[in-house]
Amino acid sequence: MNYFQPQTVGQAVNIAQTFEATFLAGGTDLVLHMQTGKIHPNAIIDLGKISELKEIKETDGYLEIGSMATFAELGQSELVFQKALALWLACQTMGSPQIRNQATLGGNLGNCSPAADGLPPLLALGAEVRLISREGDEVVSLETLLSRTPLLSQGTLIREFRIPLKGLQSGFAKLGRRKALAIARLSVAIAIELEDNRVGKVRVALGAVGKRAYLSEILARELSDQELNEVWIEKGIEGVQRVVREALGARASAPYKREAVSGVFREALGTFIPEGGTKV
Amino acid sequence: MIEIKFVLNNKPCALNVEANERLLDVLRNRLGLMGTKEGCGEGECGACTVIIDGKTVNSCLVLAPQVDGCQITTIEGVGNRQSPHPVQKAFVQVGAVQCGFCTPGMVLSAKNLLDKNPQPNDKEIGVAMSGNLCRCTGYDKILRAVKLAAEEGKG
Amino acid sequence: MNTTVVGSRVLREDAWGKVFGQTKFPADVNLPDQIYGVVVRSPYPHARVREISITQAMEMPGVVAVLSAKDVPHNSHGVLFRDQPVLADYIRMVGDPVAVVGAETLEIARAAAKLVQVDYELMPAVFDPEEAMLPEVLPLHPELCPTNILYHMPIRRGAMDKGWALADVVIEQDYRTQHIDHAFLQPEALLAYVDERGHMVVQTATQYAHYDRGEIAHALGLRFSQVQVKTLAVGGAFGGREDISLQIIAALMALKTLRPVKMENTREESFYSHSKRHPMRMHYKTGASKDGKLVAMEAKIIGDAGAYASWSINVLRKSAVHATGPYEIPNVSIDSYAVFTNNPFSGAMRGFGAAQTVLAYESQMDLLAKELKISPLEIRLRNHFRVGSTTATGQVLTSSVPLDQCLAKIAPYLQKGEDT
Repeated sequence: MNYFQPQTVGQAVNIAQTFEATFLAGGTDLVLHMQTGKIHPNAIIDLGKISELKEIKETDGYLEIGSMATFAELGQSELVFQKALALWLACQTMGSPQIRNQATLGGNLGNCSPAADGLPPLLALGAEVRLISREGDEVVSLETLLSRTPLLSQGTLIREFRIPLKGLQSGFAKLGRRKALAIARLSVAIAIELEDNRVGKVRVALGAVGKRAYLSEILARELSDQELNEVWIEKGIEGVQRVVREALGARASAPYKREAVSGVFREALGTFIPEGGTKV
Repeated sequence: MIEIKFVLNNKPCALNVEANERLLDVLRNRLGLMGTKEGCGEGECGACTVIIDGKTVNSCLVLAPQVDGCQITTIEGVGNRQSPHPVQKAFVQVGAVQCGFCTPGMVLSAKNLLDKNPQPNDKEIGVAMSGNLCRCTGYDKILRAVKLAAEEGKG
Repeated sequence: MNTTVVGSRVLREDAWGKVFGQTKFPADVNLPDQIYGVVVRSPYPHARVREISITQAMEMPGVVAVLSAKDVPHNSHGVLFRDQPVLADYIRMVGDPVAVVGAETLEIARAAAKLVQVDYELMPAVFDPEEAMLPEVLPLHPELCPTNILYHMPIRRGAMDKGWALADVVIEQDYRTQHIDHAFLQPEALLAYVDERGHMVVQTATQYAHYDRGEIAHALGLRFSQVQVKTLAVGGAFGGREDISLQIIAALMALKTLRPVKMENTREESFYSHSKRHPMRMHYKTGASKDGKLVAMEAKIIGDAGAYASWSINVLRKSAVHATGPYEIPNVSIDSYAVFTNNPFSGAMRGFGAAQTVLAYESQMDLLAKELKISPLEIRLRNHFRVGSTTATGQVLTSSVPLDQCLAKIAPYLQKGEDT
């Protein structure tokens, strides 16, 4: 097996064009899959030494997050806390300290588990993804990207995430079987435009209820442009339960998740809207 | 084979490794450092915790070539009978050790916490230790030991 | 009396080795020239092995030996009965070992294990213990008992009709508990070798070294004096290391190859291979009089022993003995059963059968209290064992029954719980 450790994005993309290689980000999923024989890469391109992929910065209207930023780095970033609270919150509870020190946001998307903690917040916040492949650069909304199969064509590198800074309030909550090291059984990320007690655009993303995390169009439609009050919250809970019921159908976990989602939804709102409904 | 160089417990180390070799296996099988334990092999239990460049990681999920150029600390690099690390001393004093299989990983997580944050509060201790599973104790003594180590460090 | 030992605080001497990472667990010891053993396990819960083809595995460079049932001199072991095969040709549960591969490296052994071809004749399996009790279901261990009911423990005290006549309130409920794995943090591992005396030495982590020694000697046809079991540091056990795991398989490989044999379970193999806590089905009927005193209790407890007996008899005996909980009841009828199924075998685990019934008898107490409109604390205060109480088995408690003190201590917390 060939092993490459490029120093720049350019080198990484060049190697990916010559070898049928697998990108190695944090490795918390990839190394395990190699160990159990689930995958047998011909070659590995370790992205760990490319410093430009680790940057977290604000540039003209966007929060840019390099694909190799770890969950620990994101979870300790004041910038992420200020501009993308839902993502910051997701980074606090993902895995364990050890996993957060290794696992990256890009790897979270690349592996794309149904329960990936990083994706619902990014969806809710309207993130775009910058991809680099032999065809060149492409900036695509995460929502669009997640509708593609396969997710990424061979040799495509996830360069960075771009979160448009539109002043959205956002929150996140997940249901796990324990506090640490819990794989999400259900996660909810919400981002809303909020002016005084008036809700503008609303985006609700769900994790672990489908094959991939997704944004609910129905909830966006039903909850946008309204007064923020207990009635609105109840309406949201009723809606999210209906969406989960329809998404899960007759799956064994459906009755449990349908019930639990109301609490998770309320908790996600509670991460940025105090009880009573007044703005933070 | 890939040649890697790294600093292991403050000593330079150079090795040829396979691309798919885990750091855990390199430490145990090639370097004979048996203090790093394998409890689950999938990043759940934290028994294989090592510190790489100031961060705790599960060495069962790290490929050996990834650590080229890194600084690694294993339990063998922390304290000894003549001068135990305050965390090790506290674990013994409080009785935070039962079967001992999780202990090296616990000690490394606690040490790394105190290196970064010498006076952690209870919540910070809880979070820092949350990636290390123990099946014998109720964690209470382990958390108390970390607290004691922090208090000892103060004086 | 003052003493320098009792009541004094001591440091664990072994803790130092553990905090420095120096303590040797069985995975940490090696010998030059050792080979690695990997077990091939059945993916089926009930089957006969028609044939095992080892040709492909043996052709793999680095493979030293592949052993199966026919290579075991006396193919059985077990703590109560020798009902468990070392290497099975008749499969009673998923995870039963059918072959072991010995190879120069662990990677080769794992790869070769996948090349061992086993032809299974599948048989219908039974997973429901109540179904397994039916007389028409074929027994899994006909040599041990004619049906799948391995054990029945009846306990009778007083007279039930008299008891029910006194009951103003009766609660009847079913309770179930599930399989639980010990999940001790250190997976099974060992090193087995024939030493310079020609003796079989097995270094492992076990709760029961002298028993392991006997079972290894029996299975391999050796004298006790020819087998030495060295217990290294035990990385948690909780009952899960009372049965034989890899000890005999590794010793067999060492005996056949005359090479030191190293074996280590992955966490997944560990889950497949060792005992579990008995899942129990408990039917309880409990009656109390208006004044909150227990007057009668009937309980039927069915413990799923799984594929092998292990400690099931002792465990279900303990369930029966503890079925009333720490409460005095004058009229009692308890029937406790251990039943074979094709589930993973159940054995010792913390509490040893006394833990499961807690769910049933304490829930009954809460439900009775609710019905009687008294507090959960009050009903316990009125019924708990005291010095002089007689248990369901007729034992008179003569000392050390400080339940009143325990309840007094927790009363404030119970109160708090009721407020919220």
